[in-house]
Amino acid sequence: MLLRLFFLLLASAALPAAAQSIAFTKDNFGDNKEGLREANRELKDGDTEYNADPARYAQALPHFLAAQQFNPNNAGLNVKIGDCYLHSSTKTAALPYLQKAAKLDATADARTHFLLARALHLSGKWREALAEYQQAQPVGGNTRNGSAETLTANDLQRYMQQCRTGQQLAARPVRVFIDNAGPELNSADSDYGPVVSADESTILITSRRTGSTGGKKDPEGNGFFEDIYQASWQGKKWSRATNLGTPVNTDDHNATVGLAPDGQRMLVYVGTNGGDLLEANLAGSAWTKPKQLGSRINTKYHESSASYSPDGRWLYFVSDRQEGSLGGSDIYKVDMEGRTQPVNLGSAINTAYGEEGVFMAPDGKTLYFSSEGHNSMGGYDIFKSVFENGKWGEPENLGWPINTPDDDVFFVTSASGRHGYYSSDRPGGLGAKDIYRITFLGPEKPPVLSEEDQLLASRLNPVKQTVLAPAVAVATAQVTILKGTVTDDATKQPLDAAIDLIDNASGQTIATFRSNATSGKYLVSLPSGTNYGIVVRQDGYLFHSENFDLPAGAAYAEVVKDIPLKKLEVGTTIVLRNIFFDTGKASLRPESTAELERLQKLLTETPALKLEMAGHTDDVGEAAKNQDLSQRRAQAVVLYLTQHGIAAARLTAAGYGETQPVAPNTTKAGRQLNRRTEFKVTAK
Amino acid sequence: MIQKPLLFIVLLTAPFAARAQVDTVRASTLPGPQLAEKAYNSGLASFQAQSYPAALRSFDQAIAAKPDFAAAYTNRAATRFELKEYSQAQADYDQALKLEPGNYAGYFGRARAQEAQNHLTEAEQDYSEAVKAKPDYAPAWYNRGVLRFEKGDYQAARDDFDGALKADPKLAYAYHDRASTQQKLGNFAAATQDYTQALALQPDLLPALLNRATTERRTGQLPQALKDYDAYLAKKSDNALAFNNRGNARFENKDYAGAIADFTQAIKLDAKYAYAWNNRAAAQLKLEKYAEAAADASEALKLKADYAEAYLNRGHAREMLRQADEACQDWRKAAELGLKVGNDYAAAAGCAGEATE
Repeated sequence: MLLRLFFLLLASAALPAAAQSIAFTKDNFGDNKEGLREANRELKDGDTEYNADPARYAQALPHFLAAQQFNPNNAGLNVKIGDCYLHSSTKTAALPYLQKAAKLDATADARTHFLLARALHLSGKWREALAEYQQAQPVGGNTRNGSAETLTANDLQRYMQQCRTGQQLAARPVRVFIDNAGPELNSADSDYGPVVSADESTILITSRRTGSTGGKKDPEGNGFFEDIYQASWQGKKWSRATNLGTPVNTDDHNATVGLAPDGQRMLVYVGTNGGDLLEANLAGSAWTKPKQLGSRINTKYHESSASYSPDGRWLYFVSDRQEGSLGGSDIYKVDMEGRTQPVNLGSAINTAYGEEGVFMAPDGKTLYFSSEGHNSMGGYDIFKSVFENGKWGEPENLGWPINTPDDDVFFVTSASGRHGYYSSDRPGGLGAKDIYRITFLGPEKPPVLSEEDQLLASRLNPVKQTVLAPAVAVATAQVTILKGTVTDDATKQPLDAAIDLIDNASGQTIATFRSNATSGKYLVSLPSGTNYGIVVRQDGYLFHSENFDLPAGAAYAEVVKDIPLKKLEVGTTIVLRNIFFDTGKASLRPESTAELERLQKLLTETPALKLEMAGHTDDVGEAAKNQDLSQRRAQAVVLYLTQHGIAAARLTAAGYGETQPVAPNTTKAGRQLNRRTEFKVTAK
Repeated sequence: MIQKPLLFIVLLTAPFAARAQVDTVRASTLPGPQLAEKAYNSGLASFQAQSYPAALRSFDQAIAAKPDFAAAYTNRAATRFELKEYSQAQADYDQALKLEPGNYAGYFGRARAQEAQNHLTEAEQDYSEAVKAKPDYAPAWYNRGVLRFEKGDYQAARDDFDGALKADPKLAYAYHDRASTQQKLGNFAAATQDYTQALALQPDLLPALLNRATTERRTGQLPQALKDYDAYLAKKSDNALAFNNRGNARFENKDYAGAIADFTQAIKLDAKYAYAWNNRAAAQLKLEKYAEAAADASEALKLKADYAEAYLNRGHAREMLRQADEACQDWRKAAELGLKVGNDYAAAAGCAGEATE
């Protein structure tokens, strides 16, 4: 074991850098002369089979493999192994050996390139195969160990065309499930040739499995002689296939090639007479002994497969007869009950190459068949053609992955067209060829999408649309309510006093009210639009003066003004609210007249009364200017009085400027109160 | 107490007639009509300040003081509309229209109240009256157009949006919705033009981008549509619908991985968005991720049990997962829910049982 590992290591170490073919010589294997001797013996035995005419590849292969185990790195041996595999039922196994051979021998000949191209082609490696086919050119003929091999330029072109077809078809695979029919139908040996009843309830297959009738083995190493087996559909899977036994199966080859749609008649292939077609009937549950279909169908040539028309009247069959052939084996049609000769289906179906495995679908117009011609991707591909308007339509390759670069033959379908059956030696089977069930999924079923839109802007983003009736004009009273209590300033007792309402503009007294004799309360309503002078008077008291200048539109207001009337005492001060000057000047405005007259009257009625007229300002502007203004304003009042008959001696004028505020000058209202004209009783 | 205001009235009306001998008065006690109007104006101010309960109280006072105050009914109705008291709003509009027949504001307001109560025929009638009473009032045209659009009368809706735009050529919403009617009428070029105009007038009217993308998809302008979706999502990335629709556009563009990313984002924003689950299932199908597709479709069906499209897609996924019976059930169910093609699939797949009608 250790020794073998050593050799393996040696071998692999020798390869990568500069791969070189290692010959079976003492120079290379001097330390294992026994092993070398054994390997050479295997090589010789293998060559004997390999070089036979015809070559016995199946027999040669085990010898070559044994020698290859000893020396994996001999280019020539790897080519031979590849060649053997390419002539077996497991052709793709050739690829690694041929690839290795190409690596070991950089100067590989055109034949090696061709074999490698074939292995690549059969493995579906289209691009690489095309490259190798190119290197196989332009050799029109190759030789192997002295035997002539025919490989025409036309053959190479055809192979390359097949690769290109394969590339195209593999790029758009058909949607199918390909399922191994399972151990119920398949065995470790070759199982093929399925035929089904239209309803898929019954299947008949051909198998070379152990237990063949007569127990004979194929001399070419392809297992036992063929027998026919039958199974029925159990709902989810097939029942285990059982050998039909005699009289259908005999010691010779017995293969099923067709089944009537109703499953009552079967077409059987037998190897006699170059290959003939027979028919058996189902009598109850047992098949009758197959009978010859007659000389119109069976000739000395090879009749290999057949299919009934749905009505059972016609038979489509394959024969390599020469008469009327378009090349290779062709498909023919014959009226089973009539006497006419079979008719070749013509060039729409048949080609210069072989056609095989004919099957007429239960619809009576769709013909499935295999062909090496048309646009095959290699070997036999399965095609279908529909008979319409009196002619066969262009055959359609069933596509990848149903068809492969190797032979794909003996395809049948159920009546529904949902399933097809065929045999293939694709990887993953139970051994050799297996029966596969194809489920046709049809064109891709388009997925369906959903979406929604927001098509109305206002539904997505509502906007305010409220329409409101506008505001209304409120009939608000344009009046000022003046109210309060008149009291004696000294005793605080309520006074019954007269309240004169004077329009300063005209000097006219508009109305006179009286305060309540008991409570001293009064209320005067002053409609807007007038500069009111209000004088509260009572005998024995100095009058009290207020001013309300209410422009038109002045809103309703309520003013509470308590009025303390002062008795005529020396030192008493009264503010004259209704004396008005022009702004910044000492000129009396006409609205002052009523107040001045009232003052004149007071002085006239009280002859001993002496007054000091005082002017006051707010603190806006310079103090000196304010002082001057207040002085001049006081003098203006004195002047008015003296001009109206009051002795100047009774009057003095004093300007106090901003020095005696009665309210803070910080507000407009406060400054207004501070801008005032007063008199003070200096004698009475 | 009764005498006092009376006395004051006398004072106000003949203030200088006699020497007043009064004790005390409440000068602020104003006569009835002024109270109604003052309350009304106060209500209006409250409404504008969105103080609807206060507004309602004021309008109540106004109506109590002046039962024939039409404007107060109109505005109380508007207030009740805002308070979602639609039937009462409608009653107030009725009263306002009784007092002031032919007032467009009453018809328009009542139409809105009717619409809010799903009285769509009555709403449409009232909008029509509003349009008649004031043809230059665009919102009445627009709202009637919306109602007509929603009942599938796209031609009439388009006429109304025309009317709205005649009354107000700057009304972006009318352009937008007219575009949508054009889309429904199959006039995709005109629709694209109107959506564009809406965006010019109101660049933040983002739905116009989404809807323009739809019309562009319909006319095979997939790159422009994708650009519009991108522009929309750059400005508003929290809209599951937009991601879903861009996902569909990407799907149409055979960008299935991109579509899945969008559907995933839509799901992230709204895990209950059945459409996004279904659509992601569809994209998974294209990528031959059948188990994921089946799972997504199942999620869509959990959210929307009558979702025919999700059944159909799950049927496809299950077929590929070799769950033939389940696929058949799903296709049949899709057909039962309205997607009749489900029966065709079931038949082609050899499903047992009768097709659903």
